[in-house]
Amino acid sequence: MKKFTLMICFSILFSLQIKDVVTGEEIPIRMGYLQSDIHQLACWVAMEKGFYEKNGANAQVAGIFKAGPEEMSAFAAGALDMGYVGEAPATTAVANRVAKATVLAQVNTEGSAIMVKKGSPIQKPADLAGKTIAIPGHSTVQDFLLQKALRKFKVDPKKVSIIVLKPPEMIGALKTDQIDGFIAWEPYPAKAQTMGVGQVLLTSNQIWKNHPCCVLIADDGFRKLRPSHVEGMVKAHVEATDFIHKFPDDAVKIGMKYTGMDEETVRTAMKNVNYTYELSIDGETEYVDFLSRLKYIDVPHAETFVNRFIDPGVLEKVVGK
Amino acid sequence: MKFDRYILLLILLILWQVLCGLEVIPTHLLPSPFKILLGLKDLVIIGMPPGHLLPNHVLYSLYRVGLGFFAAVLLGIPAGLLLGWSPGLRRITNPLVELVRPIPPLAWIPIAILWFGIGMKSAAFIIFLGAFFPILLNTVSGVLAINPIYFEVAQTLNAKKKDIFFKVLIPGSIPSIFVGMRIGVGIGWMTLVAAEFTGVRTGYGLGYMIMTARDIQRPDEILAGMLVIGLIGYLINGGLKACERRFVKWRA
Repeated sequence: MKKFTLMICFSILFSLQIKDVVTGEEIPIRMGYLQSDIHQLACWVAMEKGFYEKNGANAQVAGIFKAGPEEMSAFAAGALDMGYVGEAPATTAVANRVAKATVLAQVNTEGSAIMVKKGSPIQKPADLAGKTIAIPGHSTVQDFLLQKALRKFKVDPKKVSIIVLKPPEMIGALKTDQIDGFIAWEPYPAKAQTMGVGQVLLTSNQIWKNHPCCVLIADDGFRKLRPSHVEGMVKAHVEATDFIHKFPDDAVKIGMKYTGMDEETVRTAMKNVNYTYELSIDGETEYVDFLSRLKYIDVPHAETFVNRFIDPGVLEKVVGK
Repeated sequence: MKFDRYILLLILLILWQVLCGLEVIPTHLLPSPFKILLGLKDLVIIGMPPGHLLPNHVLYSLYRVGLGFFAAVLLGIPAGLLLGWSPGLRRITNPLVELVRPIPPLAWIPIAILWFGIGMKSAAFIIFLGAFFPILLNTVSGVLAINPIYFEVAQTLNAKKKDIFFKVLIPGSIPSIFVGMRIGVGIGWMTLVAAEFTGVRTGYGLGYMIMTARDIQRPDEILAGMLVIGLIGYLINGGLKACERRFVKWRA
């Protein structure tokens, strides 16, 4: 009898979590993404083309964020169920036990660039020594890429002055010579180019080929509670990613709508981004090692952490592997 | 019974620690006082971002506040004395002051960066705006609050305008000037943290440190940073109060 009562209680609790008590309607999936970040194109395509509804996932935008750490704070606060976010801030938040979330699919690889002023004397990575370079934030993918580029091209990181600026402020700062360069996600490098302000010093492809960047993550509690909806979201994401490859012109229009940028900028930006849902375990392991080295996180065994942090199961089921 | 006023604070800290220990309060949302102290230790030893130690963050923030606050004092007090002294000047400048005063200093950040660039000057300008108006308006009201009989007595004794200004007006408004300075430095200190949220060239400053701790998801260090800000504000206020007691002996 006790077991039966418990089962009834759990069933009621479960139904309360996915259905509104008063209206009986399904509670929407609270989703977050990064503002004006062309990496998030699959999310915007899925919303515009109705892929979430089609796959049984009632997704509702609960937050649009200026940078990954802000979005991860929203996960920590329990304000988001799923989100598109940079792999580095997601790793930092989970490793520091602030948020409980799991990576389910890749969103893109590459898609950032180190920009310098048009006609700048900085012609090669070695010229970065003694210069001021802006990053969008510590523990972002771009912070990682800049550090990696400096090491790769044998520039002493101590000789580069790094300041934090939000990407929309970077182009203005470059134009007025307040910084010598910046690293940001697309479409800001493309925007600097089309405005005639900046030129590419290094694309992220040249720094680390096929480096993982943004990922689709889910709150662990939500994942356990509503697995079918999580699967629907991943299905929609896969469908949206395929759509970008099949119909790039339509994707450009959606990109223009969500970034508010012109066609030339969006097309230039998209050329620098590789839209894929294939997960990169090795890439994530490298992030963990790097973040540990910088003392941003304290993870004794990178592989154990990565195996827990990335769950390829849902994606494998969806794509039939 | 010197410490009895801290009893409530102590009880709250113990309760907070116990609730965190019992996991009633999730520590990823609100770390325990003990964890915050460990975060403070990390800020001193490791730094945030690593290598950028707390004492340097404090020094840079104090320097920015000092710069903005002293500029506000240098301009705000003479301007306040003049506006208090001259009704005509007060009438002319009043619309401008009342128009600019309600604009929050933080709304000036994008303009400050545009005018002064990224770094010390723009942060000092934001702090100046935060501190200037309380100092100005308190100085004006200090002058207006002086008993007119003092002016009449001075005039009866054939005192020159210069003497009235320096020997009646300034000493008479000092208590109010100190109130304005205390409010001004408090607002300046609050604005500083926000002014450091973006575009800190040196990589040092308490606001910058807190934002970096947010980026790296360390709520213990965020709260430790907030504690440091609160303590410094408390000490600055205490210092100004001590100065006030020294300079305004008749009031004490």
